[in-house]
Amino acid sequence: MANKKLTLALYSGSVDKLTAAGVILGGAAAEDMDVEIFVLLQAAFAFKKENAMTNDRVAELPDKKDEFLASLKRLNTPHWTEAFKTAKEMTNVKVHICGFAGKVWNGFKLDDFIDLADDICGIGEYISSAENADVNLFI
Amino acid sequence: MSDVELLKTVKADKVVDARGTSCPGPLLAAKKAIGEISDGQTMEVLSADEGTRRDIPKWCDKKGYKYLGTLEESGYFRIFLQK
Repeated sequence: MANKKLTLALYSGSVDKLTAAGVILGGAAAEDMDVEIFVLLQAAFAFKKENAMTNDRVAELPDKKDEFLASLKRLNTPHWTEAFKTAKEMTNVKVHICGFAGKVWNGFKLDDFIDLADDICGIGEYISSAENADVNLFI
Repeated sequence: MSDVELLKTVKADKVVDARGTSCPGPLLAAKKAIGEISDGQTMEVLSADEGTRRDIPKWCDKKGYKYLGTLEESGYFRIFLQK
């Protein structure tokens, strides 16, 4: 039986939402789902090599940011890049950078982004992939 | 003998201690470890994560493993399954 498929339109460049995405990816990996992640606009900022480890912006509850980040540390929560990496090691995960999003943040080639990124693509690829997905999420 | 008493007698072929991780850490640790045991062998997952005690039975059901039950200890759970 073919694996179920998850597509994820990842728009957010904030660590709270990226961490949530990492948790969901872990669940998908445990169930051997095939995953395709499309890195859109603000998420492309977070995937830039110079930003991935230093970006600590949060999208929600900004006044609780310090408490949130401290809790992640206390709970031994892996950085979102580690969670993504683990998922890639455990199941079939492809990370596509939206070409337009890359350009917005002066990322013109794959090498401008962290190693998690597999290629640069257009939005048509996301639509085609999402049409055939069992689960499709926007974060 | 009750199910709980019966479960206490299980000597798992593999014990995975994932008490230092949060969701989905224990589930991923279970997935990694399941490849290291043979069909018919048993595994015990130690988790301090409340969500994991619900996730593992569902995961077993989807993957075709047999969920044997959970023992609640002080501050953590012992979750048993059979491959």
